[in-house]
Amino acid sequence: MTETTLASPEVQAEAALFLALEAELIDDRRYAEWLDVVTDDFVYTVPVPVTPDSPFAPHHDPEALLLDESKESIRHLWFRRLEADMHEFAWGENPPPQFRHFVTNVRARESGDPDELLVRSNVLLMGRRQSDQPRYVTAERFDTLRRTPAGLLLARRHAVLDQTVIDFPQPRVLL
Amino acid sequence: MADVDRDVTVPRRVWADGDVHKRELARIFRTCWQFVAHDSEIPEPGDYVTRRIGRDSVIVTRDETGQVRVLLNTCRHRGVPLCRADRGNTSHFRCSYHGWTYANTGELRGVTFQRDVYGKGGIDKNELGLFQAARVDSVYGLVFATWDPDAPALEDYLGPMRWYLHTVFGKFDQGLEVVGPPVRTMVRANWKPEGENLSGDGYHTFVTHQSAVELGLFASQDDLARMAAVAGPRFTGRTVHCGNGHTMRIQRMPLTVDAPAYFGYPREMWDEFDRNLSEPQREAQSCLSVGHGSIFPNMSFLENFKTNVDKQGDHARYIRVTLRYPLGPAMTEQLWFLLQPRHADAGWLRLSRLAYLRTNGPAGMFEVDDTENFVGITEAAAGDVAADLPIVLDGGRHHPPTPQEAGWPGDVADGDRTEKTIRAFHGRWQELMA
Repeated sequence: MTETTLASPEVQAEAALFLALEAELIDDRRYAEWLDVVTDDFVYTVPVPVTPDSPFAPHHDPEALLLDESKESIRHLWFRRLEADMHEFAWGENPPPQFRHFVTNVRARESGDPDELLVRSNVLLMGRRQSDQPRYVTAERFDTLRRTPAGLLLARRHAVLDQTVIDFPQPRVLL
Repeated sequence: MADVDRDVTVPRRVWADGDVHKRELARIFRTCWQFVAHDSEIPEPGDYVTRRIGRDSVIVTRDETGQVRVLLNTCRHRGVPLCRADRGNTSHFRCSYHGWTYANTGELRGVTFQRDVYGKGGIDKNELGLFQAARVDSVYGLVFATWDPDAPALEDYLGPMRWYLHTVFGKFDQGLEVVGPPVRTMVRANWKPEGENLSGDGYHTFVTHQSAVELGLFASQDDLARMAAVAGPRFTGRTVHCGNGHTMRIQRMPLTVDAPAYFGYPREMWDEFDRNLSEPQREAQSCLSVGHGSIFPNMSFLENFKTNVDKQGDHARYIRVTLRYPLGPAMTEQLWFLLQPRHADAGWLRLSRLAYLRTNGPAGMFEVDDTENFVGITEAAAGDVAADLPIVLDGGRHHPPTPQEAGWPGDVADGDRTEKTIRAFHGRWQELMA
């Protein structure tokens, strides 16, 4: 991530509020509304975690991905089957797992493009399967927020997991 | 291979019992050949990855002569692991406790302050090399190791399974490469239910994966008609037991083709498949819908054809290997490897990768639904009454043997909604555990 200028306090607050509301839509399972706050060219990626042998290497592979999704793939392959007519057969998500996001350390930076903000944030995600005790995973998010006539929208999310062996009710999550 | 159709009674305790788990470590994981890595993960001298055989941590490394070594990851001196990263490159491993240093051949090269601590002749470095696998061998880049010096040669252990591995891994001119490091997931299930499924369970697909069917990930009649003439509504399949608990299921799309058709791969690759496969092997690959199986005990492979994964009307195949470490009766770490022919067209490589990630990848839709079954099986088996209750494993006993003329080796039957492969898995498991 190249050094860029921090956004103004007003824009910091705007970005933090956007991320809080976006998380609320996922946690409330208001999937159709969540799709309305992401751009049509939205891309969501999560790299494969790894324990490196060098102190200068990251804790993830620079190229290999665990998740690589578009707005359409999330709409069709994640959310569609959770609708009333299909949910009975979404076996792994029936009863539905519960998720809760805690979003902190929001840092909005100018991108050079007046319509786009680069926003980094930390996220703690609680996941609960059935009556199991909740489990937790943390990650850092590298988001791009875009100003559009419809307001601020999420255009890109790259989330880096803080876990080499993924121990969560399901790895198929929006971090 | 006469054990396939013998009676195999499996009580549910095999999925949850602590004593069974301990016995498995001794009887199965200390003796059987097990997959540890793919050649492409360690191409250069000094390259290593850390893995497990059973619950033991091992370093899989290519030494300076190019030989692959599987070294027990614990210092001969006082037991500290020598290697703590998932992968890297080094010619030597140095212990962090007292500094004993080993070459990547496993030989002990240096003992810190040796004369001061042990005296002259007080220690024989030749006797204190790293403990290593008795045998290491590979097929199609898949590296296997065993602790058992009396184990049969890998070739003999695999038997006819090698012929089927060739159809999946041996058809590429330049082989396959693992994409990135394997994803590692912790699953609160016994290691066997997923292995049973991947051994050849064609019965669960349209129930467990009903939403995937409805969302178009399986070729519909329309999808089929866009590829070739449709022969009928029913996908057909065969299941095979190759002895030693190695099994496979091959399901074919109902298409009529004049020549072998490897749908899901770029057309420009079809010639190399024709060249690298025998005629019966081409039949096993032509119009493949899915092929999957297991190398006993804990490695499975899957070659799957999926439709409509990124854009309406697209389709691609991908090849996956999974490996399960038995960390406890109800705790399994699974490793997920995507293998790709790196010489293929870049656009196809991307589509194939997306098809994998969104379906059978560690975060794919199929895995969300499958994993729930495996975790549930394990949880239910922990009950005292449930533990004694046998499971039903009679499916497919009436399926006719595949005619000899087909040229498919092993014990093959026509029909893929079967429990044949699961009987084979548990038959072999019981032999070893007896």
